[in-house]
Amino acid sequence: MKLELGYIQIKDIQFSKECKVDNGTLYVDPDAVKAYLYEDDDVKAWVKDFGFDIAKPGESVRITPVKDVIEPRVKVEGPGGVFPGVISKVETVGSGKTHVLRGMAVVTAGKIVGFQEGIIDMSGPGAEYTPFSKLNNLVVVAEPNEGYQDHKHEYEHAVRIAGLRAATYIGELGRSVTPDETAEFETYGIKEGLEKLPNLPRVAYVHMLQSQGLLHDTYVYGVDAKRSLTTILCPTETMDGAIISGNCVSACDKNTTYHHQNNPVVANLFAAHGKTLNYVCNIITNENVYLADKQRSSDWTAKLCRLLDLDGALVSQEGFGNPDTDLIMNCKKIELQGVKTVIITDEYAGQDGKSQSLADADPLADAVVTGGNANEVIILPKMDKVIGTLDYVDVIAGGHAGSLRPDGTIEAELQVITGATNEMGFNRLSAR
Amino acid sequence: MATAYNPRDFLILTNNPLVPTCMEGRGLYTIRFQPERSFREILVEARDMVYAGHILYTHPLAGSVKPNETPYKSLVVSMEPHGFDAQHGEMIANAIAVFDKFKPLQRSLGPSVLEDFQLIDYTLLAGAIGFDAQAGLSK
Repeated sequence: MKLELGYIQIKDIQFSKECKVDNGTLYVDPDAVKAYLYEDDDVKAWVKDFGFDIAKPGESVRITPVKDVIEPRVKVEGPGGVFPGVISKVETVGSGKTHVLRGMAVVTAGKIVGFQEGIIDMSGPGAEYTPFSKLNNLVVVAEPNEGYQDHKHEYEHAVRIAGLRAATYIGELGRSVTPDETAEFETYGIKEGLEKLPNLPRVAYVHMLQSQGLLHDTYVYGVDAKRSLTTILCPTETMDGAIISGNCVSACDKNTTYHHQNNPVVANLFAAHGKTLNYVCNIITNENVYLADKQRSSDWTAKLCRLLDLDGALVSQEGFGNPDTDLIMNCKKIELQGVKTVIITDEYAGQDGKSQSLADADPLADAVVTGGNANEVIILPKMDKVIGTLDYVDVIAGGHAGSLRPDGTIEAELQVITGATNEMGFNRLSAR
Repeated sequence: MATAYNPRDFLILTNNPLVPTCMEGRGLYTIRFQPERSFREILVEARDMVYAGHILYTHPLAGSVKPNETPYKSLVVSMEPHGFDAQHGEMIANAIAVFDKFKPLQRSLGPSVLEDFQLIDYTLLAGAIGFDAQAGLSK
C-alpha cells in the first residue's frame, strides 16, 4: 500500500472573516468552524459553547486542561476520507494522496472531569517538554451544557467529535493548495517484500493502544480498541487517521491523535525501510483491564510475529501501571518466539529517580528505550495568558495541594505536561 | 462451586460507593463494599487473598489515574480459591510497591472531584467485566 503525503507548511494562524490557506497562513473564521461543529447532534446536545483562541510558539501562553491534539489533513486522492469510521465512512485508508497542514494543530481543551489534566506552555521551561509548543495551535475550548455531570460518557464523546470535526474543517482548506513538499510511503505484501528485500531483517511495529475505559480509550476505524483482538494495519493507515485518541488521562504519556498521525516509530521505520530493514507492518493490540484479555491479546501478538516470520519487533506503550503488564507480556512472548524485541516506555521512578521504573519487569525485556521520568519535579513560571482554566492544577496527576502558587507559578511533576514522556519516543527526554 | 472465569466467581473488592449504587443486584458477581478501607488496604486485602489461592481477574493498577491521586479502588478477585498463581502474586505485590512509591499528596478534594474519581474507577471496573456502565448510572 502506497501513500503520498503533501505537506503544506503553516507558518501563522489568523482570525478572519473568511477561511483559507494563503501563502503559509491559515485564515480562520471561528463562527464558521463553530457552525460546522454544531452540525453534529451529539455536539449540539452536550456542548453549550465553544471558545476559539490561537497560541503561537514563543508566546507567554499556557493551554490547560488539554484533551486532544489533532493535525488537520484532507484526503485528496484515493479511497476513504479523514478519520474513517468516525468522520468519514468506514473505508480503508492509507493509499492515494493526503494533504497535511504541517506546523499547526487543533487543540481541544476544557473541563470534562474535576481533575482534567494536561498543560501546554508555549514558552519558558515547560515548552521544552512538550512538542506542541513548537506548533501554531488553534485552540477550541468546550463548555458543557447544564446536566452534563450525569452524562460524562456522552460529553467526552461530543468533545472528541468536536475536535475531529474542527480538524476536518481546517484540513479541507488545504485540498486545493499545492504542497510545499511531498513524500511517499510504501510497504509491501508478505511475498512481495521477501522478493524485493530478501536480505534485510523483517521488522514490525507492535503498537499498543490504551483501551481501559472512559477517558482511557482509543478508536480504530471507529471501533473501541478494547473490543478488538490483536490485528494488523498497514503503517500508512495510521498516518491517514485510522487511529484516534479518546484518552485524556496521564497527560505526559497519552498518545494524542497527533501522535498517532505522526507516529515517530512509523516515521523512523519508514526511513530505514529498504535500506537496513524490511518494515513489514504494524500490529495493533490493546491494554485492557481484564487479565484474560491481556493474556489473549499478548498471545495473539506473539503468534502474529511468528506467522509473519519477523526478525525484530518494536513495542510502544501508552499510559501507566496496568499497561506495563501488557508491555512485558508482549515483550516476553515475542522474544520466546525467537523475535528480537525492543520496548519503548517511560518511567515512574519517584521524584529522586531511584525507584523501580515500571510496575512489571522480565529478564527478556533487555532492550528498553525510555521517554523519561514522569515523577521529575519542575517549576513552571507564570504565563501572561491562560487558555482554558487553572482550576484543576492542584488536583491533577503530578500536581499537589499548593501546586499553583500565589505568584502564578506551578510546582508539579512532569506528568502534568502533555506529551512530556511520550512512549512512542516522540519527545526528546531519554537516557543513554 | 463457581468455576474460574464464570461471572459467579467475580468478587468485587471496592471502597467506591458508586459501585454498589450502580451494580448491586444487576449481575452474577458479588460486591464487597468497604468504604472504610483505603486504596492501599483494598490492594492488601486482594494480595492476602491471592496468597491464599484466589486469582485476580482485573489488573490492580487499572487506569492511568495515579494511586496517590484517587482514593478509590475497585478490583475483581475470585470468590473461590483456584490454587496459588505466582504471576498474580507478583502482580499484586508490585502494585503495592508502586502505590508506596508515589509521594502522599496532602490535598483535600471537593465533592465533585471525588464523584469524578468514583466515576472513572467504576467505569474501568464495569468495562473490564462487561457491565454496561452507562446503564448502571441511569439506575
